[in-house]
Amino acid sequence: MTRISRPVVVLGALALILSGCGYDETPLPEDPAPSSAAPPPPLLCERDSVETDKRSYAPGSVDPADLEIGDGSGPRTLRVGVSADTYLMAAANPEKNNRIEGFDIEIVTRIAEEIFGDDFNPGRDIEYRVITAGQRIPLLEEGELDMVVRNMTINCDRWEHIAFSAEYYHATQKVLVRADLAEPVDADGDGVEDETQVPDLAELRVCAPTGSTSLDNVAEEEPEAVISPAPNHTGCLVKLQNGDVDVITGDDTVLAGLAAQDPYAIVPEVQPQLGGEYGEPYGVGVNAENIELAAFINQVLEDMRADGSWQAAYNKWLAPYLGGPDVNEEGAVQPEPLYGR
Amino acid sequence: MSIAIVFGLVCALLQFLAWQSDGRAADDAEQLIRIRSVESNLLHADALATNAFLVGGLEDPDQREQYDTAINDVFTDITDAAKAQPADREALAALIVEINDYTDAVAQARVNNRQGFPVGAEYLSGASAALRAEAMPILTNLADANTERTEDAMGGQHPIWLLLLGVLALVGLWWLNRQLAQHFRRRINVGFAVAAGIVLVVTLVAVAAAYRGDSQNDSLLSDELDTATRQAIARTAGNDAKALESLRLIKRGSGELYEEPWRTAAAVVVEKAVGSTDEEWTAYADFHEAIVKLDERDRWFSAVIQATARDEDDNETADTSTAAFEAFDNASERVVDTNGTKTSDELRSGRGLALAGSAITLLLGIVAAVAVARGIGARRKEYA
Repeated sequence: MTRISRPVVVLGALALILSGCGYDETPLPEDPAPSSAAPPPPLLCERDSVETDKRSYAPGSVDPADLEIGDGSGPRTLRVGVSADTYLMAAANPEKNNRIEGFDIEIVTRIAEEIFGDDFNPGRDIEYRVITAGQRIPLLEEGELDMVVRNMTINCDRWEHIAFSAEYYHATQKVLVRADLAEPVDADGDGVEDETQVPDLAELRVCAPTGSTSLDNVAEEEPEAVISPAPNHTGCLVKLQNGDVDVITGDDTVLAGLAAQDPYAIVPEVQPQLGGEYGEPYGVGVNAENIELAAFINQVLEDMRADGSWQAAYNKWLAPYLGGPDVNEEGAVQPEPLYGR
Repeated sequence: MSIAIVFGLVCALLQFLAWQSDGRAADDAEQLIRIRSVESNLLHADALATNAFLVGGLEDPDQREQYDTAINDVFTDITDAAKAQPADREALAALIVEINDYTDAVAQARVNNRQGFPVGAEYLSGASAALRAEAMPILTNLADANTERTEDAMGGQHPIWLLLLGVLALVGLWWLNRQLAQHFRRRINVGFAVAAGIVLVVTLVAVAAAYRGDSQNDSLLSDELDTATRQAIARTAGNDAKALESLRLIKRGSGELYEEPWRTAAAVVVEKAVGSTDEEWTAYADFHEAIVKLDERDRWFSAVIQATARDEDDNETADTSTAAFEAFDNASERVVDTNGTKTSDELRSGRGLALAGSAITLLLGIVAAVAVARGIGARRKEYA
């Protein structure tokens, strides 16, 4: 019996080992290496002065019928590049069948009204194309668009590729904070702390679009601020709502749109000076050769000043969040145009 | 005697392992199909969420219900998968975290969209991007690991080893018989002859059974399981494409960024889908081309209507993009279910017989050993 017991034991053990073979644990994917944010390109042009950059073409009394618009293939339309997610400036409204509306759209509509006259039909005459910030200049250069009204800052670099209208809105860089971080302050000295100010940004997590100049300006103003970029400003709001950042910085127009979407995100009245005195002068971009259209737009902007429609548009869209002229000294009134280009 | 015992034991062991292996293969195949189903249902949920978002705040209740069902199916499958395969638990736990993040972000997207806030679109596109970047790699690992396990387990039949073992045992018995014959001058020992007969019959039966099992597994691997896996991959890619189409329109104007990934996903569908769903996919792809043309011509509203219109009558004719896509999705799901079930059913069929075979082999090995002992005993008596 001992002669057979050894192989039996060995085989039994083998059976147990083989049948009990376990599975290797399913591996988890490795975390991808974080991508580093590219710094914004510096201005390549030699900036003469802020005034030179803002200078556009004197308003012209061009017959709208002679303006070169549309691609010439079908009915004459005004092809406009806009944003569809910059709330209050130009954003799709799901309640109104995703129609784009906002301050920029009021400017576009008025220009189109002046071009098409009494027969103006927005659905037929305006061809909106929702574009990214990066598409603004290439699409104008390629003649794919007649004009771009999309938070576009006038600067000397861009003048080398396209033409601008006169400044139609003077934006400034501001800071939006989580409501509990806004510090009460007696700014007007009446003994009542009825306004708020931006807290010290040191140690606070600040968000702005990756590679934007806004982030550089914050880093310059407060080197101890923790920079946490997102792909765009709305992405920053998502981060704020999820508790990943404390502060968002950007143009006041954009911040107004973010504050309007979240009652716990506010833009304090008392703001640090960011981005220097130059600010962000917005202009309507047109093709570099379509000077007549730029001059025509400048005439429309003058008309809007004269009949108060610019102010009405500001009051409707931006004033509730950015305040009137007493709070938003430069932004709440239509900028004075500079001509002579 | 040892030869017969060792033959019986090893032969029974090989059959037992094959029996066990087929059981594991059935479990692993089921797990693989389950993981593929999680993958498909997750992207199906994403296709539904992104498509519903396009309509605006007032979402179609049926579409919402379909989304909820898809997510419920995902969680049910994950629970079953964690029970079925302990080695997958850590990966499944990580997957649940990602899916929770996804469903949370989709809920926030809905709430904001209902209020007309553009941040809703950011939540949605962020959720969709994270789903692909964070959850899908986990699912890929799970699918790869279970594919490997299934293939390993399905290769658990050993006809060649059984044949070699039988031949070795017969040669051993023949050699011993020859040794006895030389000593006792009897050509054939009856005990040895009986043992050799048993070994021969057992070997032939076991080899035939193992060969049949091996062929059946090969055929399942290359037919039913392959079909189920391919179609599940095609269904996942199809849903990915449908979600990308909606994301394209949500990004209105800058949506062409999503066209290249749509084409990549569509190429996966064409490559992997079995022929029976080609017609449904082509019908949907034609609708997609029309949607792209409208979007490129700045007829965004018409493109959205095309992409979101639902088949009110719920009839068989897919006369909208969504209906055409649902026809493809439903047909794919049926193909996966049918072939997946057939694979595990066939792997489990006849396993009782295989286990009985293993026990009988062991018994016959003992009988053969007794026969050999008696054969030698008879010679000893003659000699005495």
